[in-house]
Amino acid sequence: MSAFYDHFARHSHGQGLADHSTHYCPGCGHGLVHRDLADAIDELGVQDRTVLISPVGCSVFAYYYFDVGNTQAAHGRAPAVALAHKLANPEAVVISYQGDGDLASIGLAETISIAQMGVPITVIFINNGIYGMTGGQLAPTSLMGQKTATSPEGRNASMGKPLRMAELIAQLDGPVFVERVALYNAKQRIKARKAIAKGIRLQMEGRGYAFIEVLAECPTHLKVNPEAAEEWIRTQMEPVFPLGVKKDAIVEPWFHRPPPSFDPDIILALAGADRAEAGSASAPARHASGNRDRSFKLAGAGGDGAQTAALILTRAAIAEGYDSTHIPSYGPESRGGTSFADVHIAEGEVLNPSAARPDVLIAFNAPSLARFAPTVAEGGVILYDSTTVKDPKGLPAGRRVIPVPFTEIAAGLNRPVVKNVVALGALQAATDALPAERILGTLRHLFKDKPSVLPVNEAAFAAGRRAVELAAG
Amino acid sequence: MPAIARGRPFLEPAYCKGCLRCVEVCAKGCISPGKSICAETGLIAVELHLDTCSGCGLCIEACPEPFGLRPESEVTRHAQDYQLEDPAKLFGQKPSEQAPPRDRPPVKIPLPECEPLVLKGNYAAAIGAVLAGCRHVYGYPITPSTEGAELMAKIMPKLNGAFVQAVSEVAAVNMMYGAGAAGVPVMTFTSSPGFSLMLEGVSYMIGAEVPGVFINVMRGGPGLGNIAPEQTDIKLACRGLGHGNTHAIVLAPSTPQEMLDLTMEAFALSFRYRNPVVILGDGYLGQMTGSVRLPPYLLNPGLPAWAVWGDKAHRRNLICSIHLSEADLEKHNEHLNAKYAEIGSNEQRAELYHCEDARVLAIACNTPARMTKGAVEEARSMGIAAGLFRPVTLWPFPIDALRDALTHVEQIVVVEASPGQLEDELRLALSHAGIAPPPIASVRRLGGNLPQQGDILACIRETQEVHA
Ligand code: SF4
Ligand code: SF4
Ligand code: SF4
Repeated sequence: MSAFYDHFARHSHGQGLADHSTHYCPGCGHGLVHRDLADAIDELGVQDRTVLISPVGCSVFAYYYFDVGNTQAAHGRAPAVALAHKLANPEAVVISYQGDGDLASIGLAETISIAQMGVPITVIFINNGIYGMTGGQLAPTSLMGQKTATSPEGRNASMGKPLRMAELIAQLDGPVFVERVALYNAKQRIKARKAIAKGIRLQMEGRGYAFIEVLAECPTHLKVNPEAAEEWIRTQMEPVFPLGVKKDAIVEPWFHRPPPSFDPDIILALAGADRAEAGSASAPARHASGNRDRSFKLAGAGGDGAQTAALILTRAAIAEGYDSTHIPSYGPESRGGTSFADVHIAEGEVLNPSAARPDVLIAFNAPSLARFAPTVAEGGVILYDSTTVKDPKGLPAGRRVIPVPFTEIAAGLNRPVVKNVVALGALQAATDALPAERILGTLRHLFKDKPSVLPVNEAAFAAGRRAVELAAG
Repeated sequence: MPAIARGRPFLEPAYCKGCLRCVEVCAKGCISPGKSICAETGLIAVELHLDTCSGCGLCIEACPEPFGLRPESEVTRHAQDYQLEDPAKLFGQKPSEQAPPRDRPPVKIPLPECEPLVLKGNYAAAIGAVLAGCRHVYGYPITPSTEGAELMAKIMPKLNGAFVQAVSEVAAVNMMYGAGAAGVPVMTFTSSPGFSLMLEGVSYMIGAEVPGVFINVMRGGPGLGNIAPEQTDIKLACRGLGHGNTHAIVLAPSTPQEMLDLTMEAFALSFRYRNPVVILGDGYLGQMTGSVRLPPYLLNPGLPAWAVWGDKAHRRNLICSIHLSEADLEKHNEHLNAKYAEIGSNEQRAELYHCEDARVLAIACNTPARMTKGAVEEARSMGIAAGLFRPVTLWPFPIDALRDALTHVEQIVVVEASPGQLEDELRLALSHAGIAPPPIASVRRLGGNLPQQGDILACIRETQEVHA
């Protein structure tokens, strides 16, 4: 018994001999590793649970032979595919079977990053020192001086030295077991079988990631008979790629993944959703014939809280039954420099969500005021922080300009960060865009988990309103 | 594990490749190179002389062919009889032929009515994916789509899901391929340069018929471009999904609400057609916060029959995009073409606004469609019979609805943050449908600037003066 199909129906549609023989060249090491793998799967009793990832390379058709779940991957990406299979079904035994071009060249980033993650998968790496499928080109593991189709004079220093993957993988923290084995005689073949079985067992037990590098014969592209290929591996390859266990960490089983949750309560909590209650907190949607749409620009330096204020405004507007949008400025300026927010509040539907010609501007500093005051629509409102902007120049005519000392008021409350809430209070009083109670309601909701800071925010809001009312006389 | 002791060997010569790896290991000299060429294989099979055989099994261990040297005991017929048998029937049936698995359909779980959420477009899409049952998210951070991934990084562990920040977009898309192959809903958040990198994997997913949802929050290009909104991946999503004969449904939301709704829809479509689905948002939409209502239910996804899940029922399954013979690959492509045609006739979606009597029809998608709607309203208030046709699917282009909307139209105005990629889709769809369109004017912006309501209105008015 083994985990091979009874008939290789996928190999040339199972016609004739293809039904029972592989597509590999005579004497190819792949066949031996396939047999070891098929026996291990069978002997460990995991045939039903196994998912084999076939790579690109001579073993691209591994799925012709193994009677297990099969996924064929793009060149070099088998470990990425394997990882996702394992995370989709942690009970699956996932084996990534790859050659040297696949694993050590094009897929190097996946190989290393996924090995380092350490999720229990079993990677079987066939190192035969050459590209088989594409016809004998240089592999990252070709030996110095080795003549290949793309190193016709032999591999030289400019091509770099052969890459020792087992050693490289063994020095990562992620893997628990790394061994390099060979197939050139009966003794080595026994070790190879054991290593492959161990790599799978470690996965079954949830202990971790295993990597088995197999020095395998490619008689075809070495252009020798199989016996000479065995000899070449023993005498030429092994000195460069020493056999043996490179890492064998004692690790207790750790990989457990409970099934995914679809609990609506957890999901609603994560989404920040509140159940609608009878006598709902939010007002019914407003529909006006004219689709009245007001736009707001809130601009300041990074720490001024313009985005938070904008978001409170948007939330309050939506709760009030309006359609409302908020777009933060982004780009390098959002990483520390100026930060500005565009808000729309519309009866009906917000159309253009940007505020190129805002009806209301809140400017927290002089550059913001200088930049955006000229854009404010005729008849609009300009509110600015008169603590930081002492002597504004060149403000457009035909706009209502209201200086309010946001910073000073907040400092007076011993909490400088609430100057944005002062600004919101000022905005409410100056524009009547939303009822004060609605904005306060949004603030209360925002701080429902931090009730201690609510009073100072309420005070800041009230102080901002008062400042505008006083200014208006 | 019993490494050796397999007993005496048996060989069907037609399955021997003559590699001689068995010859060198037999200390008893029982195996010798053959003398005649096997008629069926053209190879020279070895010859066995088992009189002195000790049954050590070393030769069996040395044979690379699964059906090469085998223990005699495993062969159902006695060795002497084999010549009378069809070699294909030599090895008995293993109990591996399970009944084909069945689809396990998704289960709807009701959600209580909730207050509207106030969400950024990117967050809305993430919540939509969670409600659609997605518990597998793979990605690589890229502005302006990162908030989606960041929210998923927070949510997934709490729902026992997987969020993996891959080493690159190339790795990420192949993780999607693996999860999709296992039959679970999977998604990514990316933006233009990252989407470019994923396209090879998208082609594999389409070829292997693997579902998955890509949210591409488009930014300015080419190259590194900038991180402001553009719509310049329309060409890529509609015409350039990697190599080969590829297509995927392309959805273009225009509000945070649609970011949620269309993401949920994308998962359903992706599984219905076993094909990736692309959501094209623009940078504005990803960052924009707006009101979002939750649907009345969420989904616990099922498991499709074709999944490579890793259990007995699904053991027979294969996910693969290789079809080695020309005939097979042509057949596979014909199958894909039939699927594309089915999508084309079933899945066109569009929003029509004041189209019934429109003489000038503006066509726009994503955020620019909002500015366009504003311009259309303004034009209407000036007495111009303007309308908005907003394709929600860019592929397939909603040509059937457009055909009807064109009845009175004298002028089309295409509005886009792209150098004409939407217009190209429109013209191609008109041409395939054999519709001679009215004149087409355009309002185009690039570099992260969006067409503004005033510019659109000006264009509409200008074209009306021409027609007046
Ligand atoms: S080319 Fe080499 S690796 Fe490929 S099947 Fe032939 S012998 Fe094996
Ligand atoms: S079982 Fe041992 S003795 Fe018999 S043929 Fe094979 S290698 Fe030779
Ligand atoms: S090892 Fe197998 S394939 Fe090679 S010669 Fe011997 S029986 Fe034939």
